[in-house]
Amino acid sequence: MGEMDFIQNEVLPSLFEGLGTSILLIIPSAVFGLVIGVAIGVFRVFGNPLTEKLASTYVAIFRGFPLVVQLFIWYFGLPHLGIYFSPYTASIIGFSLCSGAYHSEYVRGALLSIKRGQLLAAQALGFTRTGTIVSVILPQALRRALPGCGNELIYLIKYSSLAYMITCIELTGKGKIIASETFKFTEIFMIIGIFYLVMTTIAGRLLQYVEFRLEIPGFEHYGA
Amino acid sequence: MSKPPVLRAENITKRYGKKVVLNNASLSICERELKILIGPSGSGKSTFLQCINFLVTPDRGRVWLDGREILRTHKRDLNAYRQKVGMIFQDFNLFDHLTALANVEIGLTRVRKMGKEEACEKAMQELDKVGLRDHIAKYPAQLSGGQKQRVSIARALAMDPEVMLLDEPTSALDPELITEVLAVIKDLRANGMTMIMSTHQLNFASEVADEIIFLEDGIIVEVGPPDKILYEPECERTIQFCSKMRELYGNSR
Amino acid sequence: MIESLVILYGALPYLFRGVLVTVSLVVGAMGLGLLSGIALAVGQVYGTPWTRRLIGFYVWFFRGVPLIVLLFLFYFGLFTMLGINLSAFTASIIVLGLISAAYQSQIFRGAILSLPTGQLKAARALGMSDSRAIISIILPQALRLSVPGWSNEYSIVLKDSAVTYAVGVTEVMARAHFVASRTYEHLPLYFAAGVIFLMLTFLGTKGLRLLEDRVRIPGYVR
Repeated sequence: MGEMDFIQNEVLPSLFEGLGTSILLIIPSAVFGLVIGVAIGVFRVFGNPLTEKLASTYVAIFRGFPLVVQLFIWYFGLPHLGIYFSPYTASIIGFSLCSGAYHSEYVRGALLSIKRGQLLAAQALGFTRTGTIVSVILPQALRRALPGCGNELIYLIKYSSLAYMITCIELTGKGKIIASETFKFTEIFMIIGIFYLVMTTIAGRLLQYVEFRLEIPGFEHYGA
Repeated sequence: MSKPPVLRAENITKRYGKKVVLNNASLSICERELKILIGPSGSGKSTFLQCINFLVTPDRGRVWLDGREILRTHKRDLNAYRQKVGMIFQDFNLFDHLTALANVEIGLTRVRKMGKEEACEKAMQELDKVGLRDHIAKYPAQLSGGQKQRVSIARALAMDPEVMLLDEPTSALDPELITEVLAVIKDLRANGMTMIMSTHQLNFASEVADEIIFLEDGIIVEVGPPDKILYEPECERTIQFCSKMRELYGNSR
Repeated sequence: MIESLVILYGALPYLFRGVLVTVSLVVGAMGLGLLSGIALAVGQVYGTPWTRRLIGFYVWFFRGVPLIVLLFLFYFGLFTMLGINLSAFTASIIVLGLISAAYQSQIFRGAILSLPTGQLKAARALGMSDSRAIISIILPQALRLSVPGWSNEYSIVLKDSAVTYAVGVTEVMARAHFVASRTYEHLPLYFAAGVIFLMLTFLGTKGLRLLEDRVRIPGYVR
């Protein structure tokens, strides 16, 4: 069997399978991460001193510990306390909580950048506090947080490769297995690299498009 | 006026896209002369001056210093030429990370390869000449606009230039700081420095210029001694411009 | 509980020797990234269209592929294929450095582009060659402006360095895992490793903030 045939018939199907797992890791983690990020961001700006303190401790730890360490804690560490997760669940939890911490930083910065007048104007119209945050502040803030959060999503795509280290066999893990059997590290990891490049590039383009669509007329250059 | 000119620029043309910002502008200047460019904002004065030392690359045109043509494609020649032509910018362009003293020294040490001590001594002298001996250790951000412009003059003078180009040296200054800079320029004039300067200060121009060049829409409209250009101009556009400037800045006579 | 703490305490010297490895990785990678990043940034701002395109490609590649994939590609793949025999430690420094170069180049590029164009003009007007102007005028200012971005990059490289455990570098994470799998005290050991990284982040960014103050130009506000 020729080199090309081997890659086409043996390697690629296996890698595509891994790619599927990677995507199944990335999408839920991205969604959970964003939800956590927005929630924590709001708590840090509008919460009471206690929630603020808790939220910033969370952010300090999850941004300060390397992601590998976090994944190991979820997967290898928690059984210590009698809590068991599958590699897949542990990865999703690890990714979501870590990227949530990073998202919350951008959300917080964006919230703080909204002028106080917006809050006062909404209150003058009779909005409740929650109503003001949900209908007036967040729609503006999230637009401003978008470039930072977008970057974070691209990081997530790349860092999803670490799931392999807690035995969740996604794209990188599949590659490692085939490469170890065939010793074709260069070829296989080149192909995997291209897979990731395609994903990060598409995500980047998509985010640019979303940013462009959500632009508020007259505010085009904010934060650029 | 039979002396050969120190600096000669001929048929300088510059386009930005389709817009012609400078069209066939020429001038020449002899030793110890002061020529002043006037004209409305956007008339091409700044482009003209920057084309003369190739900070802006002209599309067409030739420049001679001491009878030698400058070949701008020859990097070494170009850098040597620029050392002999001092440039003063409207917004000073002092090197923000260096003290006043270091701003003046750096051309000496890095370009003229002068020793550190000699450079320091010379820089001190130049700063003294512009009245800034007490401010040598300050950084640009700690100086007033007028002081910044005087440092930038000292920086140019330290290179012992044959000609100085001054691009609206007082336009970015608050009115009360203009005089201190103009006083330094008058001093230079009295000491025989050859200068080409663009300005909106018509009073100053009428006092000190040997010749005034009126530029509009990239074209040299009229050239002549101050009395003629400012008070008996031939062209309609010069008349309009001068009367407008006089409305803005008051009459000088 | 007490037992866990005793084991953790006993393992600390071993973990701390890992700190030396981690710090060497980070210093090496940041240093390599700094030098190459400056060159890339200067090339991307002042280079010919082809240089810019080439550098753009480099940056796109090294920013778009995960660290672990690059580690495997270079350490098990390319280096072996080319017959270059490197230790996992050296290979990791190179890979981390190549990635950091891509990121740092963008920090420096942004800083260079944020400088007023008059700075280069004034340098040229004094007769400086472009390379002299870049060295004496542009870079000293651009590098000062890059310190905050650099501090951010430091904390990223530091945390990324834990991934080199995957190719067998005995840094902090690898040592924590080694002790954990022998003593079954996973949770305390990983937590300790996390805290060590947290402390290193804190110390490093603190140091860089001091540096930022030291190199600040008096009176200069942006």
